[in-house]
Amino acid sequence: MSGSGDAGGRATASGTVTARGEILLEVRDLHVHFFTESGAVRAVDGVTFQVERGRTLGLVGESGCGKSVTALSILGLVPRPGRIVGGSVKLEGRDLLALGEREMRGVRGSRIAMIFQEPMTSLNPVYAVGSQISEAIRAHRRVSKGEARDRAIDLLRRVKIPVPERRAREYPHQMSGGMRQRVMIAMALAASPSLLIADEPTTALDVTIQAQIMDLLQELQAELGMSILLITHNLALVAEVADDIAVMYASKIVEQGPAREVFTSPLHPYTHGLLHSIPRPGMSRKEKLRVIPGAVPNPLAFPSGCKFHPRCPAREGLCESSEPELLEARPGRAAACHLVRDGVGPLKETP
Amino acid sequence: MKSQGAGAAAPRTGNQRKSAGRAAGYWSEVWRRYRKSRLGVLALLMVVFLGLVAAGAPFIAGTRPIACRYQGNWYFPCLYYYNQRWENPVLIREGFRRSPYPQRLREKDPRSIAIWPLFYADPYRRVEEGEWPGRPRDTGPSPPRLRNPFGTDDLGRDVLARMVHGTSIALLVGFVAMGIAALIGLVVGGLAGYFGGWVDVVLSRLIELVMAVPPIILILALIAILERPTIWHTMAVIGCTRWESIARYARGEFLRLKETEFITAARALGASAPRIMFRHMLPNALAPVVVALTFGIAGAILIESGLSFLGLGGDPSAPSWGRILNEGFPSLGGDSPQWWLILFPGLGIFTAVLVYNLVGDTFQEASDPRLRGSSR
Repeated sequence: MSGSGDAGGRATASGTVTARGEILLEVRDLHVHFFTESGAVRAVDGVTFQVERGRTLGLVGESGCGKSVTALSILGLVPRPGRIVGGSVKLEGRDLLALGEREMRGVRGSRIAMIFQEPMTSLNPVYAVGSQISEAIRAHRRVSKGEARDRAIDLLRRVKIPVPERRAREYPHQMSGGMRQRVMIAMALAASPSLLIADEPTTALDVTIQAQIMDLLQELQAELGMSILLITHNLALVAEVADDIAVMYASKIVEQGPAREVFTSPLHPYTHGLLHSIPRPGMSRKEKLRVIPGAVPNPLAFPSGCKFHPRCPAREGLCESSEPELLEARPGRAAACHLVRDGVGPLKETP
Repeated sequence: MKSQGAGAAAPRTGNQRKSAGRAAGYWSEVWRRYRKSRLGVLALLMVVFLGLVAAGAPFIAGTRPIACRYQGNWYFPCLYYYNQRWENPVLIREGFRRSPYPQRLREKDPRSIAIWPLFYADPYRRVEEGEWPGRPRDTGPSPPRLRNPFGTDDLGRDVLARMVHGTSIALLVGFVAMGIAALIGLVVGGLAGYFGGWVDVVLSRLIELVMAVPPIILILALIAILERPTIWHTMAVIGCTRWESIARYARGEFLRLKETEFITAARALGASAPRIMFRHMLPNALAPVVVALTFGIAGAILIESGLSFLGLGGDPSAPSWGRILNEGFPSLGGDSPQWWLILFPGLGIFTAVLVYNLVGDTFQEASDPRLRGSSR
């Protein structure tokens, strides 16, 4: 993914041409509202990003900023009382939001697959894992039960589960968390999707297992050439595996660009603050960890202007009245901040 | 959880399906916990015993041989008790309906062989003089005695035979009525829970409506409309009025399951709505429904007995437990109360209702998700 447009000008980042690769998924100006009794909650408020074929986009943000809802909207699975009220989601140029439920079912699992945060609860407890994978296969392909079973065992082997013939017959509660997440990945790969959405895939796992799962995902990506949309609040994880990064704050994307560049020179004060709040090895004990003051705004009552301005150390008068758009700041980089000038953010110090 | 070491060694092909059943699933876990309750196991054995009595009633008490060799051929006259049409036409032609089997067999074919039920007694008529060698005519009413362990009723019919044959009525009412109730309850509760919104509002009000009507009144009204009520009408009426607890459990389970991650995961993998409802949600919603079902069976047995006791149970000649009670009831105030007509069917009803409730209770505890994983 990338912000785009003419290299020099301040074109909006939602332009479609990119310098690097073919765009697989394009989300443009997506709005999702939850109609609650206390009013419409703007869970996703004009989100725009692109995922390129074969690459990994890390979608980063705090809890409740709209990451997961964005992911579910791509699959057309926004839970009630939420509704997609505007924007488009295009997969290989086809608008998914215009598809009927039947066609959408054909997309889910076969073109776009998703894995979830809690491997403990995302498998059906009453079926053996092998038959769950077989079912995912048979949902999209007309194959015999025997073939599906063989392929399921094959997939389990592929996600590096030892003795897959035996494991296929086990039930979810007989497996460890890491094992179950592998099973979920195997299920997701059943129909060789071109996009895998991974919603906090390692949050519920311990650190060594996290690394194993991420390695596995990267390996499979290289092997199968699929794109990954990695949704997480874990910056370290994104730094390691994502090619591109999109930072979300209060239902909007505030900064996007190639992961390495975003990490070395954040443009948006929010990204800047996030990166400074990560403890680093070699920090002296007296040095206090910096925090972003304040709290995430209530989506029922977003502040006027830039949603980040009450917490922003660099805010100016303009920030309180007008909401900045996500604009290209320099080639491949975009930020939604009034104070980004000449491709440089307001907070200079690098982490 | 036990690991399935033996299953692992099994060869991959052919054997795979068989060994799949050996892995410890949810239900085997429930069974493991169920077994820990001695009372529950006892009740379950009793349920099985009642089932065997019901299914094998003609083997226990009857006036027709279980099997007999007559003029060189084998016949199974006891099938008559299951369905009158199953009696062999040859035997009907030979006049076995006019005079009882033991006599007739002796007269027509002295070399015949017959295997007889445990008790020579008939649920529908009294045993006459000389029917069985050395056995006098069964008079009634008579208190329990050697040849009528549970006594006889006004017409001289053996109470034990009537009760044994009545077991199938009681159980059939329980199962058929609750089968109907489960069907309605699962559909109504499942739809309400799955779709939510106004569907839920409408169906929930329907559930409350059915809940608010005292079932016995509704059943009385419905039976009053029918010209010739049979036991099947009773079953249908109980089934159509006692589904509300099943529906409520099913609704709750579907509501809960709808929010679980594995349902979202199944959706994200492209499963259709019916597939999600039937294959993913239903098996997970079953445990509390089975509990409601067991209690429902006990309730249906009780309702049927009550209706029969009131003389509204359909066919008056059918040996329903409630009807036996009904026959003994008038004598209670008199000088010679026929206590055996009250005690034995009363015990039968009590036992059946109790054991089904105990099984339901134990199963509820064994399947309670809050206790899952605890080593009670």
